[in-house]
This record gives sequence, C-alpha cells and structure tokens, in this order.
Amino acid sequence: MEKDELKDKIFEFVQAAKGKKKLKEKDIIKGMAEKTGETPDNVKKAMREMIDIGRLMYSYGGGSSSVEIPSEEYLREKGLIK
Amino acid sequence: MKKYETPLLNELEKGPWPSFVKELKKAAKTSEMANDEVGQLEKSFRDKRGYWKHGGIVGVLGYGGGVIGRYSSLPNEFPGVAHFHTVRINQPSGMFYKTDSLRTILDLWDEYGSGLTNMHGSTGDMVLLGCRTEALEPLFAEVTSRGWDLGGSGSALRTPACCVGKARCEWANIDAMDICNDLTQTYQDYVHRPAWPYKFKFKIAGCAVDCVASIARADCSIIGTWKGNIAVDQDVVKDYAKAGMNINAEIVGMCPTGCMSYDGKTLTIDDENCSRCMHCISKMTKALRPTGERGASILIGSKAPIVVGSLLSWVIVPFMKMEPPYTELKELAEKIWEWWDDNAKPRERIGEVIELKGMRSFLEAIGVPPQPQQVLAPRKDPFFFWKDEDLNGKK
Amino acid sequence: MAWLTEQEAKAKRKTDIGPPHYSKMLPPVISKNYGKWKYHEVFTPGTMVHVAESGDKVYTVRVASPRILATESIRAMLDIADKYCDGYIRWTTRNNVEFMTTREENVPLIKKAAEDAGYPAGGIGSGLSNMVHTQGWVHCHSAAADASGLVKAIMDEVYPYFTEKKLPAKTRLALACCVNMCGAVHCSDLAVVAIHRKVPEINHDLVKNMCEIPTTIGACPTRAISPDPAKKSVKINPDKCMYCGNCFTVCPPIDIHRPEEDGVAIVVGGKVGSLRKGPMFSKLAIPYIKNNPPRWPEVVSAVKNILETYANDARKHERIGEWIDRIGWESFFKKTGIEFTYQHIDDFTFARDTFRTSAAFKW
Ligand code: HEM
Ligand code: HEM
Ligand code: SF4
Ligand code: SF4
Ligand code: SF4
Ligand code: SF4
Repeated sequence: MEKDELKDKIFEFVQAAKGKKKLKEKDIIKGMAEKTGETPDNVKKAMREMIDIGRLMYSYGGGSSSVEIPSEEYLREKGLIK
Repeated sequence: MKKYETPLLNELEKGPWPSFVKELKKAAKTSEMANDEVGQLEKSFRDKRGYWKHGGIVGVLGYGGGVIGRYSSLPNEFPGVAHFHTVRINQPSGMFYKTDSLRTILDLWDEYGSGLTNMHGSTGDMVLLGCRTEALEPLFAEVTSRGWDLGGSGSALRTPACCVGKARCEWANIDAMDICNDLTQTYQDYVHRPAWPYKFKFKIAGCAVDCVASIARADCSIIGTWKGNIAVDQDVVKDYAKAGMNINAEIVGMCPTGCMSYDGKTLTIDDENCSRCMHCISKMTKALRPTGERGASILIGSKAPIVVGSLLSWVIVPFMKMEPPYTELKELAEKIWEWWDDNAKPRERIGEVIELKGMRSFLEAIGVPPQPQQVLAPRKDPFFFWKDEDLNGKK
Repeated sequence: MAWLTEQEAKAKRKTDIGPPHYSKMLPPVISKNYGKWKYHEVFTPGTMVHVAESGDKVYTVRVASPRILATESIRAMLDIADKYCDGYIRWTTRNNVEFMTTREENVPLIKKAAEDAGYPAGGIGSGLSNMVHTQGWVHCHSAAADASGLVKAIMDEVYPYFTEKKLPAKTRLALACCVNMCGAVHCSDLAVVAIHRKVPEINHDLVKNMCEIPTTIGACPTRAISPDPAKKSVKINPDKCMYCGNCFTVCPPIDIHRPEEDGVAIVVGGKVGSLRKGPMFSKLAIPYIKNNPPRWPEVVSAVKNILETYANDARKHERIGEWIDRIGWESFFKKTGIEFTYQHIDDFTFARDTFRTSAAFKW
C-alpha cells in the first residue's frame, strides 16, 4: 500500500475510535496491521510521521497516554493552521 | 505589576530554613507569572485548598511527554497563572553542572517562563515551573539547539536517575552514572513517545545504601553489589577502636547475619555468611572494602501505594555483570517491556501485573530461572501448579 | 533576548538528543579520580572530604535548598561555584546543593558565602538531610495540603538536626501532598502524607461531558464506583470509598476537595537501604491532623515529639524503623504518647500480615 493511503487509513481508524476508546500506539499498530496487512513496523513509521507533522498527536488523561486527532486549538498554537 | 498583600505567606519568610516564599517573591520582582503565583498561593493558604485545574494536553510537536499541562481554575483573578505548565529538562547523570551550561538554561527560562524552578523534581529532571502554551515550541527549539532535551512523562519511560556513584563514592560497585546516561540515550524514543500501559522507571544505585531510593520507587531497580570477600585492614580497625568506636556493639552486634567477630584485636568476617548489606562498610569505610567480581542485582516492581498498595522491588536477577554497552541489561529490559505491554491493562505498573499473573509466568517470559535469592522464603501452602513440562520429568 | 519566531524555531529544533553527557559536567578532580575513591571523612554535618587512591582530595560543602529556586538564586549559587569551585556545582537526590573544591582553605569561605545567600550547610551523616517533598498548592490539582509550607514550618523547628545536632542514625523526612505520593514517601523514616477524608461529590452534568465512564470506574482501587445509567454518570459506594482521589485524577467533576476535612497523616519507620534490616515501609503513627496554615503548629510539634523520643531512646546507628522494631509498636505509642485508634488497624490489601500472632507483647 502507498504510504499516503496507509496514512489516510490510519486517520480514519483513529477518527472512528474518537469518543469511544482511547487508542494507545499499540492499538493502532496492531489494529491497522491486521486491517491492511502492512507490517507493524510500516504502520508505526507512518503513524509517527503523522504525529511529527501534527496530523495526529499524543494526548494524556488520568495517568495514561493515547493517540488522538489534534484539536483546532492545538493546530493553531503549533502554527499548522492560521 | 499587581501588588498582593500576603500576610500568611509572610509568616513563611521567617525562620532559619531557606524560604520558598522568598524564592517566589524573588522571581515575582520581574515576572508577572511568578507574581500571580504568589497571589494565588496566598489565597490557597487562606482557603486551605489548591486552585489548579487538572492536566490538559500540551506538549511539543512529535513528543508525548516532557511537558505537564497546568491551568489555574481562577484565570480571571490571576491571569499570570492561567497557563502555568511544567517543562521537564532531562538532567545530566549525577546532577553535576558546569556553571556556564546551567546559566544557559536560566537565561532561556527567564525569557520564556516564570523564572521559577524545582531543582530537581522527584524523578530527577530539572523542573521549570510555569510556562505558557505558546512559549513551548520556541523554548524547546532553544533548549535542544543548545544540547539539552526534555525528560519523560505520561505512559512512557521516565527520565532514568542514579546516585553519584563512581564520580565521588568509594562504595560504587557499578558505574551508575554511565548506566543511567546509556539507558537514557538508548531509549530516547521510549522517553519521548509514550507507548506503554503506564509509566516505567529505572533508578541506578551503586550499592545497597541506595542513595536514589531505587528499591522503593523504580519499576526496575539496578543496585550494585559484589561477589568476593570483604577485605579488612586490621591496622585501621585498631584506629577506629582507638578513636572510640565500640566495635562489638556498633559493628559486630549490628551485623544482620551474625557473621562478624572481634576479640579486641582482630576483626573477623565469615564471608560465606555475609549478605552484603553494607552496614559494616558504611561505618568503617577506611578499614573495610569489598573485593572480587562486581555487578548489579536487578529488582523489579516498586511503586507508591496507588492503586493497590505500595510495593518494594523484588529481586529477579541476583547478579549481572555491568559493562558497556550493557547488552544483557537492555535485552532483559526489552523482554520485560514486551511481557508487560502484552499483559497490562491501562494504568497497571509492572509490579501489579506480576502480582496478578504470577511471578512464574513473568520469569518464564523473560527467561530467568528460579533461584533462592529471589525469595525471602518458599511458599507455605501446598496449593501449587504443575505444568506438563514439569511432570514430563526434566527434573 | 527575543523569542524565536516560528520559522526560526522550526529551523533550530532538534529531537531525541537526550541530556548532555555527564563527562562535560565533572570537575577535573572528579574526572581524574573517577571510580578510584578510597575513603571519605565527614567533618561536620555540612562538610566532608573524599580521598582518592592517587592521594587527591575533594572537599564538599553541602547546603540546604527549598527545592523551589528562583533563577536569581541559582545564579547566586553559580557565582559561588565560579569563585571557589572552578565553575562546577552539583545537586543531590534530596535537593541539597554541593560545592566541591580541592582547596581546603575554600571550605569555610564557601560555607559562609552560601549561608550569607540564605542556604545553610548541613545534611551529611547521622542527622537530618533535606526533607523531600512534592508540589502542593504551589502547582498541583490533587493536593490535600500544601507541601513547601509544611516543609518550611517543620524544618525551621528541627533545623539544629540539619546543621549541627546528631541523631542516632541518618533520618529521612519526606512529604507528599496527596496519596499519589510523587515523592515516594512510603519508605521514609518520618513522612507527612496529606489526605482527604470524605467521599467526593459528583457533578453529574459535567461528568456526562468530561469523563470516560469506564476509565473512571476502572480508576477506583476499591471498586467503589459503579455506573449510574439514569444520570449517564457514576455513583460512589460510601462504604467502600477510602478517599484516595484517584477518581478525581481521571474525572475532575468528581471533586475531592474539602478544606475543613482535608489534612495530613504521619507515617514512620521506613527506609530504603539494605543495611542491617533491609528496606522497610513507613507505617501509620498519626491518622489525622487538620490543615492549619501558614505554619501547621500541630503537625510541627507532632514531628518534633516523634523525633525527640527517638533521639532519646534509640541505640546508635538504629534508624527509626529499627528502633520501633526493637521496642515494639506498643512501646512506640506509649513512649510518644500518641493515641492508638481504629484507623491504625489495617483493613487494606495486606492487612492480615499486620495482625499480632504471638502471645508475647509489652504493656
Ligand atoms: C499513580 C500515582 C501518581 C500520579 C497520579 C501522579 C500525578 C502527578 C501529577 C498530577 C503531577 C503534577 C504536579 C504538578 O502540577 O506539578 C505530578 C508531578 C510529579 N510526579 Fe507524580 N504522580 C504519581 C506518582 C508519582 C511517583 C511515585 C513519582 C516518583 C517516584 C512521581 C514523580 C513526579 C514528579 C517528579 C513530578 C514533578 C513534580 C515534583 O517533583 O514534585 N509521581 N505527578
Ligand atoms: C556513613 C554512612 C553514609 C554515607 C557517608 C553516605 C553518603 C552519602 C552521599 C555521598 C550521598 C549523596 C549521594 C547523592 O546525592 O547521589 C548520600 C545520599 C543519600 N544517602 Fe547516604 N550515605 C551513608 C549512609 C546512608 C544510609 C545508611 C542510608 C539509608 C539507608 C542512606 C541513604 C541515602 C539517601 C536516601 C540519599 C539521598 C539523599 C541525599 O542526597 O541526601 N545513606 N549518602
Ligand atoms: S548508593 Fe552507594 S555507591 Fe551510590 S552514592 Fe550511595 S553509598 Fe555511594
Ligand atoms: S556487609 Fe552486612 S552482613 Fe556483611 S559483614 Fe558487614 S554488616 Fe555483616
Ligand atoms: S503528591 Fe499528589 S498533590 Fe502532590 S504533586 Fe503529586 S499528585 Fe500532586
Ligand atoms: S476517592 Fe478513591 S476510593 Fe473513593 S471513589 Fe474515588 S477512586 Fe474510589
């Protein structure tokens, strides 16, 4: 699968979980590897690239961390949208 | 700048112990943020409660840790602390600093934050206390471009910490500072990108005196030890006696294993029965020295009481050689993380998971054989399991 | 200095470089004798010397700090280090500051300079070191009491044990401002732990919007929380709740603060070193003292009472926990005059290990 396509799929996956389940990195890597047949390593790389540019972000609540879609506020503060 | 009356805090400027209120007020001379911290704290002292809101999500791009979000619940009354985030700067191992290099951080902090610090936080990082969200990215760029980086927070590897070790302590059996630095550098990804069920801490102490309290507050405690005898310099023992030490009461009588004797002239140690507790050595450092092979005991699982009670770390590997690049230790750590990650629910520390799943399945998973050094005593009940491989008679 | 622009910040930022290598931070005498120290001698609670196999000596002056430090104060310390210590300084794991020099004649000068700046020398050997503590009302949302304020009030009172007076053994004080215990105070000789004492109050409307119900239920160590489907919220069983505040940490609309009920407990007898008896947990001495800022006089006198009873009664080298083990807890309560209550009897996870199973005890 093309990397960009994989990234879009990851984004959809995270979006689908929004408000239902806090996803950890591992949930995404495992879930997407199963879904797409990609290697866990490739999923991880793609996910990390998305985090590095703010398409996804790490979140934190109640002592444990998760991966989420950034809020508009976060994107504005990082200068990623005006 | 707003001037706050602080009759309650003023009481804490009096007395001989260094005053944190004086520190807050020093920073408040030039920082609106620190000034409002003083104002809000006075109100807390009056009302007997804190006025902070829980966490919130802030950080630098790409990292999931190193910044702890903090907002005032009274932002209109105290706008300077509306945002008051913590930035954790990873300390150099051993917490030695060259003055210029620390000044660099101070200058940046005066520019971008409140000018208040904790030297250091309980985990070991330098804690920069009080920063606005929009300052995080430029501060991060300044700090990293000068060779410093953020420490860990969240469900990540927390900043490893160690005692002063070989840098200035004759009792160090292992190079605690080097191990600490090596683990920190090797596992930068785990420090900055929270991938686990919960936090994981390493603390490294050079000997069983444990000056970093590793046995009480590290998921993995690495504690230096030795395998040989204790060398005794009998002349120096005599000097201690001459200087007034009651060797029978203070040393022999307090040895937990009863393996020492002293006839008024010669101090004898039955080394085979010594448990290497460090008592005698710490009291007669000029006369007694460990000899022979050096290494570390690896213990696992300690934590504060939340959620189901406090734990001290348990011995899993009684002795491991510790030489760079510490491959055996790293292989073990990686197996531990894998098992923990597979078996833990969110917010379960490794010690809790071992309790739930059983020490045997943990030891099997990480490939460590059973040894009497791992327990204080064997079990007292007859209710134990046999696996097929036990029955099919390797043993 | 001006703030970096967004562009500049992007160009300059690096990631995953870790802290500077410690070797760049070590005074030359330390680098030279690294791993080759022979012995050390403590002169006073604030000064000691380490002697290397090579014969080199390094003198250390250890001074107190309140942990919260303004940049201005750290600069003053760095100036002292530049003047007397060739530009090097170190912090200990208990928030003390150490000035190291190879020149013995600098020792009194450093001590004086630090004391003039407000940071007295002490903390080495058989006495008190600095009291480790957490954030309190200065910075944390969970705090049931302030941290720095209590520490300041306590250390003012027991100050001589830091600077000059001896105790039977090293004595480690600690304070945590809630049961999360960020300072890991559960293995200290004497620790103050701030506690809540009432079931938290739930704002159901906010819970609905702000909290994940399963996470909130899962956070409770005693399983006191269950769903309340009618309100789309949760309910708390008051018979099971032990006011840990864990639910508040994951779900802020479950408010645990009660200014008139919050306060502190005092625990004693923990240690971390394996020396003699091995590491020990601290155990409950006083279940509750009310918050009385700014100086918490009741807490201060309770701490002083325990410390002085120990100082007068323990044998040389006995830590508080070892002393209590020897005399027995019944004697500890008698000698300190502390009242024994239902709260002292454990009913949590490891309770049965704490009940007496022998017919031998003291009156
Ligand atoms: C599950 C238990 C714990 C929870 C929920 C917890 C939560 C927190 C929170 C909310 C803060 C922020 C305080 C602030 O606003 O500055 C904090 C700070 C901190 N915590 Fe914890 N904590 C826990 C246990 C621990 C333990 C056991 C340690 C260390 C052994 C620790 C080390 C720290 C450190 C170093 C800080 C920074 C401030 C300081 O040094 O006091 N935490 N923790
Ligand atoms: C004569 C005996 C001892 C000497 C000379 C000694 C020496 C030291 C030194 C040099 C430090 C600073 C190391 C650092 O900050 O990393 C230190 C810290 C510490 N020691 Fe010891 N130690 C002795 C006995 C003990 C004992 C018996 C215990 C506990 C069982 C203990 C617990 C600690 C702790 C918790 C620290 C960290 C606190 C601090 O920095 O003040 N020590 N000790
Ligand atoms: S833990 Fe042992 S080796 Fe490390 S500083 Fe303390 S006494 Fe020295
Ligand atoms: S190290 Fe401990 S057990 Fe060994 S001889 Fe010394 S006091 Fe006894
Ligand atoms: S002990 Fe509790 S109140 Fe204090 S800093 Fe830690 S989490 Fe906050
Ligand atoms: S305060 Fe603690 S015990 Fe009580 S309901 Fe909340 S999590 Fe459960």
